Amino acid sequence: MPLSGGVGIPAAPGEPKGNTTSNMGTAPPRIHVSRWWLLTAAIVMSLVLSIGEAIWLRAGGLGVALIVASHLAGAGCFLAVLLAWRGMASRELCERVRLLASEDLSRLSPQEAGGLSAFAGPTQWEEVVVRLREFVVAAAQKLEDAGQAQASSEIRARRARAERDRLAVILAGLPDPLLVINDYEEIVLANLSAASVFGVDVQQFGSDVQVKVDQSLDCPAAVKLLKDVVRRRTLTQRTAEFSWRDGFGHERWYRVICRNLDVAAESPHGMRGAVAIFNDITVQKAIQRRNAEFVSSVSHEMKTPLSGIKAYVELLVDGDAETPEEREECLEVINGQTDRLQRLIDNILNLARIESGVVDVRKDRHSLNEILEEVHGIVLPQAEQKEIDFQLDLSPMYLGVIADRDLLLQAAINLASNAVKYTPVGGKVVLRSRLAAQEVCFEVEDTGVGLSEEDCQRIFDKFYRVKKDQQMASGTGLGLPLAKYIIEDVHGGRLEVRSLINVGSTFSAVLPGAGAMSE
Amino acid sequence: MATHSSGEGKCILLCDDEFHILRAAEFKFRRAGFEVLCAADGIEALERIEERVPDAIVTDCQMPRMNGLELIARLREDERTRRVPILMLTAKGFELAADELCDRFHVAGVVAKPFSPRELLRRVEDLVSTALLNEST
Repeated sequence: MPLSGGVGIPAAPGEPKGNTTSNMGTAPPRIHVSRWWLLTAAIVMSLVLSIGEAIWLRAGGLGVALIVASHLAGAGCFLAVLLAWRGMASRELCERVRLLASEDLSRLSPQEAGGLSAFAGPTQWEEVVVRLREFVVAAAQKLEDAGQAQASSEIRARRARAERDRLAVILAGLPDPLLVINDYEEIVLANLSAASVFGVDVQQFGSDVQVKVDQSLDCPAAVKLLKDVVRRRTLTQRTAEFSWRDGFGHERWYRVICRNLDVAAESPHGMRGAVAIFNDITVQKAIQRRNAEFVSSVSHEMKTPLSGIKAYVELLVDGDAETPEEREECLEVINGQTDRLQRLIDNILNLARIESGVVDVRKDRHSLNEILEEVHGIVLPQAEQKEIDFQLDLSPMYLGVIADRDLLLQAAINLASNAVKYTPVGGKVVLRSRLAAQEVCFEVEDTGVGLSEEDCQRIFDKFYRVKKDQQMASGTGLGLPLAKYIIEDVHGGRLEVRSLINVGSTFSAVLPGAGAMSE
Repeated sequence: MATHSSGEGKCILLCDDEFHILRAAEFKFRRAGFEVLCAADGIEALERIEERVPDAIVTDCQMPRMNGLELIARLREDERTRRVPILMLTAKGFELAADELCDRFHVAGVVAKPFSPRELLRRVEDLVSTALLNEST
């Protein structure tokens, strides 16, 4: 048992440690021997001093007796002081109590038991010993328990500190802004992202500086939601979407998800308040907006030829077209508008095929000039409507291309139609073909509104439409991206644009040649 | 063939950048006895109006140079055209708030594309006769 030697009674000052129980049965002689030695030494020293003093003073018999008596008294006092100083009594008591704390009561000698008679009567000492031992054992147990509790508290504290540090790192690394407010609508926690996005001061739990959420967060929608959740103690999660203009003046969209902390308040370390996390949904919003614009553009593009078809069919049905020429005109318009509708649907389907990675390409040798002649015929009515001079300037050479005829035709139509759309009334559009080294090239040059440098970079992006020109013509933002895909990805060519604002644009499509000869 | 003369002596301005739509509507209104002015955009429409103020206007919304809304705003600023009934003919049906158009620009109505020339004629005839009634009272 470790109690007596370990956490038991401490050893007396000056006493050698570690062997306090080894000489329990023989300990008293060591004490008594030293005491007698001291007493003997004191008497001898007193006698020697008395004789010496008497000789020196030449004292008589009474004088010698007085000198001896005074020295003996001085030695007694010295011995008493010395014994008291060494703490003989307390040491003996400590020895006995240590024995009491030991398991083996039988090791107590009768002398030691006799020593305890000072505290109890001879017949009661065993009961006292048992009680004292119980007390000492209980005290030692408490000490040991307290030590273990302290050690485990320290471990828990270390774990909590590590957990807190880990959470702080996670919160700091969280890309979404996060805020926690308390019942008084003060921000008690804000991560780095919240600080950088909304300019909120970074807060940690337990921070002394706490500011009201509406003073720190300049987002009325988010503030209102947080306050509502705190005040109404809503248990369900609530969300709101709001736009936010960042430091560069760009509009960003966030979806804030807010939850009350009252449930957590039931736990010992819980708190009242609300937590809000902000998801950046700017990209999703842009996609939504682009999709909506696409649907709107496609619907507008489809409704326009449908309007022509419906109107002319009705004129025929109502008999408004009286002469054969009028009826012929109606039928031609219906046919032309049907083709236009089909082209639009082809564009959309081709785009869907491109996006799904399924494109059925059938390449054969074709004359580029023939394809461009067909394009001219298709787009000419559109140009005539705007009194645009739509010229065909073809190379006198036969320019062969290995191409998917339908796809290349569609790309060229898209380019020519686009030029006509964005060229003002009375302008000029030229569709040109030429040989360029080992390649063949066709160009669409217009005297249209032109493109800025930025627009030239983005004009081939899907759904991109030049804002300033949107009112000028309807469109889906698909024609040019589709043309670029057909020329570059399907046919291994290049599609480039050169443009000047208010002067015009030239779209050049360069394709690998498949032989050129004089026609 | 049904011959109409409901538009006898009345003038209508049609404004649309789609030639075929313009042509179909023009055909229908002429058969009904209207004098028809045609324009391909807002600026052309204002030029035609300078020549003659029509009894009713039918205009598209999305047009080059000057769109339908800008045209209507200009017409409402001009004392001569402030009260001319206007119908908007547009493929942007669900994107335009008809109520707002009526309140802000005093547009008489919105006709969605694809449209029926017969229905368009009937709406214009109603507008012209209502305008006449208002003038006489």
